[in-house]
Amino acid sequence: MKKVYSIVLIILIGGFVLFYNSCSSGKERDDAFDILEDTAISEEMEFEDEEIVGMISSVPNPVEMSVLLQRSDVVFSQELMNPVNNIDNYNSGFKKALNLGVYGTNLVHMNIYDRSVATVRYLQNVRNLAEDLRIGHFFDYETLNRLSEQSRNVDSVLYITNRSFDEMTRYLIEENRSSLAVLIASGTWIESIYIATNVETFPENKEIIYERIGEQKVVLDNLMLLISNFRDDQQFDELFLDLMKLKKEFDKVNIEYIHKDPIMKEVDGRIVVVDKSTSKVNIDDEIVRGISDKVNYIRNKIIQ
Amino acid sequence: MSEEILKALMQLFAIIAKQDVGLSTNERGYVKSFLRQQLDEASVKEYLALFDSYIGDEKKQDEKKDKPKLTSVKDSVKTLGISKKINKTLEQKQKIVVIARLFELINSDKQFSPQRMAIIDTVSEVFNISKEEYENIKSFVCEDDFEKIDIPDILFVRGEEFENENAKNIVMPEFKGVIAVLRVQSVNLFFVRYSSEKELLLNGLPINEKNIYIFARGSVIRQAKGKPLFYSDVVSKFLSDDKFINIHFKVEDVDFTFPNGHVGLRNINIEESSGKMLAVMGASGSGKTTLLNVMSGVINPKSGNVYVNGMNLHENSEFVKGIIGYIPQDDLLIEELTVFENLFFSTKLVYRDLSDKEITEKVNKVLHNLGLFHRKNLKVGNPLNKEISGGQRKRLNIGLELIREPAILFVDEPTSGLSSSDSENVMELLRELTARGKLVFVVIHQPSSEIFKMFDNVIILDDGGYQIYEGNPVEAVTYFKEMDNQINSHVGECPSCGNVTPETIFKIIESKIVDEYGQPTDSRKVSPCEWSDLFNKKEKSEKSEIEYDKLPEPSKKPNWLNQLKIFFKRDLLSKVSNKQYMLLNLLEAPLLGFLLAFIIKYIEDPTSDTYIFRNNDNIMPYVFMCTIVALFLGLIVSAEEIFKDRKILKKESFLNLSRSSYLFSKIGILFILSAIQATLFIFIGNYILGVKGMYFEYWLVFFSLMAFANVLGLNISSAFNSAITIYIIIPFLIIPQMVLTGAMFSFDKINRGVGGGGEKVPVIAEFMPSRWAFESLVVNQYKNNKYYKDFYNKRALESALYYKNVYYLPELKSYVENSIQHINNDADNSSFKENLKLIKNEVKKENNSEFSRAHSYKFDYLEKLTIENYDREVANELLSYLDGIHKFYSDNFNRVYDIIDNKIRERTRTPEKQSEYQKLKNDYHNRYLASFVKNEMNPLPLVRIDNNLVQKSDPIYRNSKPSGYLNFRSHFLTPEKHFMGSFHNTFVFNVIVLWVFTIIFYVFLYYNLFSKAVIFIENATPIISKRAINFKNYIRSIFVKK
Repeated sequence: MKKVYSIVLIILIGGFVLFYNSCSSGKERDDAFDILEDTAISEEMEFEDEEIVGMISSVPNPVEMSVLLQRSDVVFSQELMNPVNNIDNYNSGFKKALNLGVYGTNLVHMNIYDRSVATVRYLQNVRNLAEDLRIGHFFDYETLNRLSEQSRNVDSVLYITNRSFDEMTRYLIEENRSSLAVLIASGTWIESIYIATNVETFPENKEIIYERIGEQKVVLDNLMLLISNFRDDQQFDELFLDLMKLKKEFDKVNIEYIHKDPIMKEVDGRIVVVDKSTSKVNIDDEIVRGISDKVNYIRNKIIQ
Repeated sequence: MSEEILKALMQLFAIIAKQDVGLSTNERGYVKSFLRQQLDEASVKEYLALFDSYIGDEKKQDEKKDKPKLTSVKDSVKTLGISKKINKTLEQKQKIVVIARLFELINSDKQFSPQRMAIIDTVSEVFNISKEEYENIKSFVCEDDFEKIDIPDILFVRGEEFENENAKNIVMPEFKGVIAVLRVQSVNLFFVRYSSEKELLLNGLPINEKNIYIFARGSVIRQAKGKPLFYSDVVSKFLSDDKFINIHFKVEDVDFTFPNGHVGLRNINIEESSGKMLAVMGASGSGKTTLLNVMSGVINPKSGNVYVNGMNLHENSEFVKGIIGYIPQDDLLIEELTVFENLFFSTKLVYRDLSDKEITEKVNKVLHNLGLFHRKNLKVGNPLNKEISGGQRKRLNIGLELIREPAILFVDEPTSGLSSSDSENVMELLRELTARGKLVFVVIHQPSSEIFKMFDNVIILDDGGYQIYEGNPVEAVTYFKEMDNQINSHVGECPSCGNVTPETIFKIIESKIVDEYGQPTDSRKVSPCEWSDLFNKKEKSEKSEIEYDKLPEPSKKPNWLNQLKIFFKRDLLSKVSNKQYMLLNLLEAPLLGFLLAFIIKYIEDPTSDTYIFRNNDNIMPYVFMCTIVALFLGLIVSAEEIFKDRKILKKESFLNLSRSSYLFSKIGILFILSAIQATLFIFIGNYILGVKGMYFEYWLVFFSLMAFANVLGLNISSAFNSAITIYIIIPFLIIPQMVLTGAMFSFDKINRGVGGGGEKVPVIAEFMPSRWAFESLVVNQYKNNKYYKDFYNKRALESALYYKNVYYLPELKSYVENSIQHINNDADNSSFKENLKLIKNEVKKENNSEFSRAHSYKFDYLEKLTIENYDREVANELLSYLDGIHKFYSDNFNRVYDIIDNKIRERTRTPEKQSEYQKLKNDYHNRYLASFVKNEMNPLPLVRIDNNLVQKSDPIYRNSKPSGYLNFRSHFLTPEKHFMGSFHNTFVFNVIVLWVFTIIFYVFLYYNLFSKAVIFIENATPIISKRAINFKNYIRSIFVKK
């Protein structure tokens, strides 16, 4: 009897040991710690942090473009939006960051056009990408919900997005992850231009839209400047080269500055200098078409 | 005797009678008287005419041939023909009778001519009767001086002592003459003849000195005066060759009180010895069955003792139980097995040394005895779905005990529900046991006269457990008549028919006082107590001191492993032969698996028909359902197992079998069934849902949980006494497990009173096997799938760094900054004090964290983090320390992030690689499950609990800090568990925990702790039970009034 018990016991224990050894994977975790180093890695950037913030901030908020299109009675086209399921294709951080910008722009655009049902899944995508990029804490549900609730109040949306975006940018730069900020900004910008240049039928007042597109010449310069910092990376280099082609189209745009003396003005008891200079953007259908072709090429590469 | 035999006999008689000298008047007289014994007057004439006609035929033929002196060839041939014809229709017993009758015929005229003998020889040869028995019968029938025959198969009954060399003797005082009984051993048949001046009655009929009679089972020979000779007396004498152990059974002053306070038995005294059959009688509720239970050692008396050969039954139950048999009123049969199998397995459990062949022989013998041999391959079935009759069931029940040959047998109401012939049959079977030296106690209700007289003694109980009589059954009638002052009280049985009416006894005992209108009232003439006093005053014969035989050693039962094998085989056979059971159990799991998986196979994209595992939101719920299904299946399949067997267990408790081997056999079968069910369920479920590469892990957990549920189910099935209670209990066992799995309700969001929102899994959830199973599966699914396992470790590191960087350090910093405002200002501020404690706790942790060995920052002023020593300088030092490590975390986060990103890029470099990677991800990684294990639903990544900051985000990526060598408690969904100084894979650890649970519940089961607890609770609530009884009476009174 006792013998039987002890045999059973031995078999049980033996079984456990075998099973344990075959399934256990305890040590790898410790090895992972070996990656850690006590030395800082810093991105080598030619610019001061504040300069980068400034340059990234020059990328216009996509809300502006969407509002302009909506007010100009441009019809909303779902086909222009990056399909939600494409998110499955984005695996690398590079792709994820660019498309975070793309989906963000889509989200804003659809919001302005009150496409709230479809928005939900774009919201999810933005959040998932942000989560993957480990910047999820800037995209908490609270902020995103406020965004969708206040879609009618454009100023408020502008304020929230601008602020969150700036905050994020600053954080990323501070954390030595400015490449990420640059990519998100690039994604946003490219998608914005893509939407604006692919309007099916331009309305009567297409000049305003054209003008806005033409103004982006300056922004592109800034972006390329930023991206050029990371050209060691083959992906960045590719993007840079693509943008070069776009730049060639933008170079056809001529911006004339009409200088006027600044005037001083008292606002709320303080003296403020007001720049009275204006600029005139010379752009025509052909140039827009050219830009459109290049942007479409770059954008479709990004969202693949 | 059938017509056929009679005709054959007439023919044979005729052939013999006309040999040599021819028919004599004596012979014809014999035939006539023989026929008279068998038939009524009209038929006698008919058969006699037949006999005469046969004789006539023979004569004519013989005259023609004129060769009367020799047995003609024709006669021989004829004899042969007739014999062969009868051979086919008669049982061996009847053939013996035929031979005896033939001898008797010859003997009637003493014409032992060779021709006649030759004919009988032929017949006996055809009948296959052994030479020895043939000679015995011949001498027994034909010898005039039969008293001188001295062979072992003969028995003499005389008035005084007599010595024989071989023959057996019984002394029957006051008997003048000799009775001889011949045993024909091969068929267990007895013939009787006698010589005496006085007339004797065999079963009430006078017997002739010249004739021989069959002494059938239950027969009795009476003389005018003195003790009768019972069949059992004769049989026991013949059987006394075998050594019997003399059993002396004594019940001494036994009292018994039920747990609810009712008195069951009062001062019972019984003293009996082996070879007797006793009836325990009484009105219903008078404590008959209780007495039987006390006497058999099933329950312990409140006071008093039961001795078997001087050994206290209740104190030495292990030893004494082996010689006690108990046949309860209910069936003890395993319904799914055949008659033979039922007997076979119980025999195997009793005899260790017998081979299967020997056991089969033994069983067949018993089946013959029980008259069940021709039914041996019928399934027993249940009383509603009958395959064998009620009487056969009862006989089989008795057979189960007979095979063990216990020295003392207790039988509870063996005749209830049986026809009178079945009843007599059963009682005769029991009566025969006394012949083999057994002591048989039978609780019996309203026995017929025949049955009543079979008993040697009766014990009569009255309401309230009073013993009011013990003694001879016929005398009982006279005793109570006497006490009732009835006329002819000395007559016990009907003088003309010999019937005894036990009902009279009870009529007298319970007779009511009649009021002035002649209506019987409620009160009895003589109360039970008074009857008891009367009985106690009755003179009792002094019992002399007896020297006890030593009790036999309990028979050698099979060893543990063999018992296990027998139990296992028996259970398996009974399960396999139940087709419904097998079919349901084997189909249930795959059907459930199919149903579940098919329903929740969700395709996210409404425009697509391609199922993508990654996008199915239902994988986590599927895992959860797996645990619930496992619990349900496991519980249901086992919940009735022991309950179903409890009657059989009660019987087998007398065999002193190993409980663990019984339980192991149960568990073994259940585990096999569970393993099959688990395989079917998981295979189908996982296949449909596309859970790839995890079959074994799912199966193991599913099976482990089922195994636990099996053992749990066995526990409840042994603890509760009705099937309904068991099924009421099941939700109580399942629902808490569902709630506390951690899947339906987050542990962060349940009542804080049960440990919700704490740092670790609530204590109550640690006792939920479902939780362990669920956790192990989910953790394993997330971190060990083919897609993710390469990334997991780095992701874990990334997660830890991210948390420190983004949530933890900023939060800690804000506490420090906040504390600076309070320096020197309000030292009494309790929140400041507490915050400082928190800061100290956290900095201490940070100093010792696993990251601290990778960097050189250290905060050296821990002891200054008290309200007295804290100043701006310390605060600044602290802030710079925090900045330092923040930098470290931040840098390393980027480093790890880049490593991971590069790895992904490496694996998605080309479009082919990209799609391969994508496929892997789609097939193995589940988005919703990932979000669940990262606790993304919880908006707070960290919370303050007491004076600690506790991380809530990413539980899957971090281990809990060990808090003791043996303390394995941790947060939910931890990847590894700390135990005995090191971390163990959660999957393995949890599975082991499930088995520990199973083993613990096995121990509960072994010691029957559940059922003890249930009994304890029942007893501990007398007030409630009293209320319940009052309530019950109240309800009853309402209905009775209406």
